[in-house]
Amino acid sequence: MKDRAGWRLYLPLGLMLLFLLLPFYWMVLTSLKTRNELLNTPNPWWVFHPSINSFISLLTQTQYPQWFLNTLFVSVGATVLSIVVSFCAAFAIVRLKFRGARVLSTAIFFSYVVPPAILFIPLAAVLVKLHWFDKLWALIPIYATFLVPFCTWLLIGFLRSIPRELEEAALVDGASWPRIMIKVILPLSVPGLISATIFSFTLSWNEYLYALIYMFSSANKTISVGLTTELMRGDVFQWGQLMAGSLLGTLPVVLVYFFFVEYYVAGMSGALKD
Amino acid sequence: MSDTAPVSPGPQARPSGSWLRRAFDRPNVLGPLLAAPAALILLLLLAYPLVLGIWLSLSNAVLGGTPKFVGLANYIQLFHDSTYREAVFYSFFYTICSEGLKLSLGLGLALLLNRRFRGYRLARAIMLLPWVAPTVLSALAWGWLLNPQFSAISWLLMKLGLIHQYIDFLGQIWPARISLIVINMWRGIPYFAMGYLAGLTAIPASLIEAAQIDGAGSWTIFRRITWPLLLPVTTILLSFSTIWTVTDFQLIWTMTRGGPLNATQVFTTLAYQRAINGGSLGQGAAIAISVIPIMLILAIVALRTTREGK
Amino acid sequence: MSDISRRALLQMTAAGALAAGAGIGPVFAEAYKPMLPIEKGASLQLLRWTGFIDADDKQWKANTEAFTKATGVNVTIQDVSWTDIQAKSGLSAQIGSGPDVVMGFYDTPFIYPDKLVDVSDVCTYLEKKYDGFYDVAKSYGYDDKTKTWIAVPMGGPGACVTYRESWLKEAGFDSFPTDFDGMLKAARALKKNNHPIGLALGHAVGDANAWVHTVLWGFGGKQVDENNKVVINSKETHEALKYAKALYETMIPGTGSWLDVNNNQAFLAGQISMTINGISIWYVAKQKFPEMFPDIRTAPVPVGPVGHPTNFNLFSQAFIFKYSKYPNAAKEYLRFMNEAPQVAPWVTGMVGYVTPALKAYSKLPIWTENPNITPYRDVLVGNYADGYAGSPGRAAATALNDFIVVNMFADACAHGASPEDAAKRAEEKLKQIYNA
Repeated sequence: MKDRAGWRLYLPLGLMLLFLLLPFYWMVLTSLKTRNELLNTPNPWWVFHPSINSFISLLTQTQYPQWFLNTLFVSVGATVLSIVVSFCAAFAIVRLKFRGARVLSTAIFFSYVVPPAILFIPLAAVLVKLHWFDKLWALIPIYATFLVPFCTWLLIGFLRSIPRELEEAALVDGASWPRIMIKVILPLSVPGLISATIFSFTLSWNEYLYALIYMFSSANKTISVGLTTELMRGDVFQWGQLMAGSLLGTLPVVLVYFFFVEYYVAGMSGALKD
Repeated sequence: MSDTAPVSPGPQARPSGSWLRRAFDRPNVLGPLLAAPAALILLLLLAYPLVLGIWLSLSNAVLGGTPKFVGLANYIQLFHDSTYREAVFYSFFYTICSEGLKLSLGLGLALLLNRRFRGYRLARAIMLLPWVAPTVLSALAWGWLLNPQFSAISWLLMKLGLIHQYIDFLGQIWPARISLIVINMWRGIPYFAMGYLAGLTAIPASLIEAAQIDGAGSWTIFRRITWPLLLPVTTILLSFSTIWTVTDFQLIWTMTRGGPLNATQVFTTLAYQRAINGGSLGQGAAIAISVIPIMLILAIVALRTTREGK
Repeated sequence: MSDISRRALLQMTAAGALAAGAGIGPVFAEAYKPMLPIEKGASLQLLRWTGFIDADDKQWKANTEAFTKATGVNVTIQDVSWTDIQAKSGLSAQIGSGPDVVMGFYDTPFIYPDKLVDVSDVCTYLEKKYDGFYDVAKSYGYDDKTKTWIAVPMGGPGACVTYRESWLKEAGFDSFPTDFDGMLKAARALKKNNHPIGLALGHAVGDANAWVHTVLWGFGGKQVDENNKVVINSKETHEALKYAKALYETMIPGTGSWLDVNNNQAFLAGQISMTINGISIWYVAKQKFPEMFPDIRTAPVPVGPVGHPTNFNLFSQAFIFKYSKYPNAAKEYLRFMNEAPQVAPWVTGMVGYVTPALKAYSKLPIWTENPNITPYRDVLVGNYADGYAGSPGRAAATALNDFIVVNMFADACAHGASPEDAAKRAEEKLKQIYNA
């Protein structure tokens, strides 16, 4: 049922969305402006001589398509890994309640307080020992370090909201635990999994520091690293291309969100219910 | 069957088969097994580096050098370091203000979006943009909007006759501090709005309807029903968001590098500046580690609140 | 002039002429013979900063390919933006793995000198062949404590005055003044005509550091003396701060937040009449701003009361990590890249953006091709290293990266502190750093 929405809804909502969209409007303008127009314009809020040169040169003269694929690969990989690992852990903690489950769940939560911006040096030492340096796929387990705590927490919340009667019935019927996990709990967890997926995907998509520090080859750059390392030239930035790259890197994700946003809300809602 | 198992169905109901299958069916075997990958990743890539980091903070480590144990010397030095004190101040100020703003505006936005009006799906998707865009690049876009010469915001205000000179958003101490808070808030609103939207969906409509029938106004309903029910969500959203804000690095590093003077210096920028650019690894680690106790307190509070909520 | 350097000069003149004509000139790889036995199967990884102008990377790559052709050593180039070099190279020093060769800035090699390969042979060879390094270049590569070269000085993206000729004339000056007093007078006159100047006072690694150090040293102030004793709180510093404050009054509002990009943009938008910058403004204008370009002039940075240039530049040097499996190949690479057949087209291609560390290259024809390029030829003369007059190292690097001197100037100029207070605050912070 649709609400009758009056100005009391649309006015504050409009202002809020305006604020949230402002930098993106700016990105669009900048990506369409020539350097000259960017600096000399009678009205900064408009573009008088739009040109898509920035998009063309971004796609043809830089390795942007490669960076895009790298980002996609790492984000999908890190998301899948984190979701699988987190679901298993959450299932074990909530449904199995094995010895030490409570300790583990507390530990996972606390592990989130470790600030990544600082620990990259000690972490690098570990990566060197494992020979994971400058390997694109190594970012997958690295990203898992900050995804697993959050996803596990989210899924713990979600799994708790699934009624216990379901698995009790299955147990009585003689189903084994692994079977219950896959056949009973997993299908019911889909909304929770979707919201965890969206969350993980976004964080991986935007990660910067680890991708910058641990990858050396140009072929291993992600979108944000590639853009900032190759288009911010000393004191001359390629503004048009930077903003074009940023838009092209953001829009696909938003498009995905447009279709999944309801599941995301539903999933989070399930996780928060209890 | 272990006594920690949630249910104890009769043994006759359990599946038979190889010892392996039977082992997998025991919560005390299957549980640790399923939790092992998560534990392994966190131990290897998080806990171990953390221990190394703590060790570095207790040593005179310099980039490339062999560290020697120096006890709390690095921490004692920080205590006398005026730049560190400035960073502590702004870290707190930045975190408290931006969390407060994100929370209230995020909640407000969620309340608005928790209705089925025309285009609500589009609005919900658009709302997420700030959270999705790469931080470095949206910081660059904000840099233009707040530029002392090219700010489109200043331009507009000038045209409207509200100001007579472009605003120096990032060049003066307090405007710079506030600008960064606003940008951090901009980035974090979607996360709160999303979480609250989920929290609102979980509130049974019947509860609200009952209150309405009793003649309660919308403010009363919010204060007496909605807000109390949203408290657990708030704790969780706030604790995770606080952790991100305290450990945030990109935004400030891109926009001001801690300037003007040291007005926008925070733990992470200072730690990076000292450890990486200056080479004093031990001191940088100490700055970084000094955040952890605060975060731990926050985490404990969050954990307590959520567990008591059950 | 020795025989070798005359021959070298001939070579580079040829290469320079060719490069000027054909964009990227051919490289004389045939004439090159390795001095050191290059390891079998060697390959190298180079970490360098993304060129400030694209011609830099292009020619660097072409030169590197010539090296591969001549020696069979494959070199992979990794570009990072210049402010991220320290993080990656520091990490490599710490964990003993990463690129073989790094092009860093300022004090970087002196933060971990014992992790670096002694490159004395390369430097001595280059020094002899190309009339020696500038003093400042030497101080960024030569470790006085061990009497060895730990890095090969490459050069500095120079800082010079860039200004609008018509506006300066309008203000009553035929050419840009050569001393601090004149600069202040010109700035005031420009300001009166509504053409303010603009110098960065935010945490701009290159631009802010450059001009504030020049002013500080121009008045005889310095952060520490030769024994690394903090002497910032001096009369000279106070004078420097007073002067800077007066100069700040003539500036466009908002320079307190300026990072390295801001002055370029403000200049190209016609909002400021003068700034101190690398040649990038002139170069970008040449390509993208044809109307403004003929009006842009460059000039050497004026001289202060001390009576001689006191420039401060970004400076880049290349160093080799000891963990490298192919130190000889790396040394040969650095030698090769500093030889005239490579340097000439490189410097020519980027119109002198990086002023080479070797004095012989001041004779390259590119420097006199256009009078606006000439000031950049001499930026390394009378240039001091950061942390002057103390020794390079971690303390100097920390002071630079904590922006102590920049903040002191910003404090006095833009944030209302008296020169005495600003200097005192800087003194406290420096003492913390140098006494640690």
